Amino acid sequence: MGLEVAHIARGVRAADRAMADLEGVLNEADAVIGDGDTGSMLARVAAAMGKVELSQATDVGLAFNALARAVASATGSSLGTLLATALLSLGKAGRGRTEIPWPEFGLQLAAANQAMAARGGAQPGDKTVLDALEAVAAVLAGADAGEPADRLAAAAAQAAHQALDRLRAQPCKVGRARMFAQRSAGIDDPGMLAFALVMDAVAAGS
Amino acid sequence: MKKLINAPADYVDQMLEGLTAAHPSLVRDGAAGRVIRRAGGARKGKVGIVSGGGSGHLPLFTGYVGEGLLDACSIGDVFEGPNVQSCIDAIRLADGGCGVLRLYGNYGGDRMNFDMAGEMLEDEGIRCATVLGNDDIASAGPAEAGRRRGVAGLIYAYKTAGAMAEAGAGLDEVVRIAARTVAATRSIGVALAPCTVPSAGRPTFTLAEDQIEMGMGIHGEPGIWRDALRSADAIVDEMIDRLLAERPAGAGDRVSILVNSLGATPLEELFILYRRAAQRLAGESIVVVQPLVGPFVTSLEMAGASISLCFLDEELERLLAAPAQCPFWRVG
Repeated sequence: MGLEVAHIARGVRAADRAMADLEGVLNEADAVIGDGDTGSMLARVAAAMGKVELSQATDVGLAFNALARAVASATGSSLGTLLATALLSLGKAGRGRTEIPWPEFGLQLAAANQAMAARGGAQPGDKTVLDALEAVAAVLAGADAGEPADRLAAAAAQAAHQALDRLRAQPCKVGRARMFAQRSAGIDDPGMLAFALVMDAVAAGS
Repeated sequence: MKKLINAPADYVDQMLEGLTAAHPSLVRDGAAGRVIRRAGGARKGKVGIVSGGGSGHLPLFTGYVGEGLLDACSIGDVFEGPNVQSCIDAIRLADGGCGVLRLYGNYGGDRMNFDMAGEMLEDEGIRCATVLGNDDIASAGPAEAGRRRGVAGLIYAYKTAGAMAEAGAGLDEVVRIAARTVAATRSIGVALAPCTVPSAGRPTFTLAEDQIEMGMGIHGEPGIWRDALRSADAIVDEMIDRLLAERPAGAGDRVSILVNSLGATPLEELFILYRRAAQRLAGESIVVVQPLVGPFVTSLEMAGASISLCFLDEELERLLAAPAQCPFWRVG
């Protein structure tokens, strides 16, 4: 049991559908100290990913690469470019593979997280999307190879929410939000929140 | 939100459509039409200069494409970096076979996109270098100058690096001039009223009717203090004091000054500000050459102004005076 192109396609569809409800929620969350457009940006990104014809992708790497290109063409926002960076990293790791065992995919997600850290300059613990992805990567890396995908997705979503809860009280340390450090304590980072809510949708759709 | 628009989603593309229709020297290009380049294209044998950034700052960034300035420019949505694909397109379109300088403001998103574009272009053999504008003295202390944001003063680097490239200098020389100009430029802004990003539909920050914020950035980033409105002279005095306190080591007594509107502040008020700034500089025995007064780098309809000083030496002054032509700035 492991990640196949079909899982990626289902996840993208779930994320795209979920954005109809999440767009407003995430715009609100971003408006507290940002421009208030994170939801609209991610809705655009999810729609662009949804248009990628993943059935043509013969391996996991090609699927992730196609998604990376779609994201890189849909937005220039930091969060979007970090997502494209992670997808490119997963694309490289999945080259030529039709199925990647879940624990191995967890390690690939951790590597994708490192690629995002290198690109954006944030570290785990800085209260960014990296912390949510790190939690999900750990769940998958520690999974039994035979664990069913729906159970893993539920555990991954739960882990992302735990990361959100754990860091909520902390002030933001990077990006534009660091300039509002005091006001950022007690509120969710919009990128982390988006990741956790999309994971909920993926879990519900898997 | 009260804006003369058709739909928030069409804001940038319709703006670019109109900009290029009004100014045929600018041409839209790139996979998604999010690059502006010179109508004549990249000149073979000349170092290319690209810039890029979010929309909402016209004439920055796309307005400075022209002879003696930029070759191409990638443009993002409002206050959002240009996407990686647009940066790739802009670099390719600026390449005349002698390398490309990426010259843009120090913002995380822009940096990520241009860096990623550069990595994806490595196989094509286009030699790239980067110089980041970081003139906003309110955005970090002098010890952390590398973390400062790029604001209005970036256009000085466009001008000098552009003149250097036009004269046939190699990439290293163009980089040296751009970096020296950035190092010689200091800016500070003051905001009176906020702006609204079209897709967000409400102001990016709130400022009470009688309040101003000294040091605010061009996307509403927080400044140094927020307090009651005061006279133009008092505001200019503080801005000039802060700028001169950060006069670069070894700077001479000649400067160019840019008194810039953030969008809503009228020319009349800019000249009231300039009057005092010129008096203050004269009082410090500083000679002003090539003063610039007007909307050069805006923040949508934000009310307020910024003052930039570019401390000149003989070389920078010569490059600043060299001929240049774009729809919003003409020299010589």
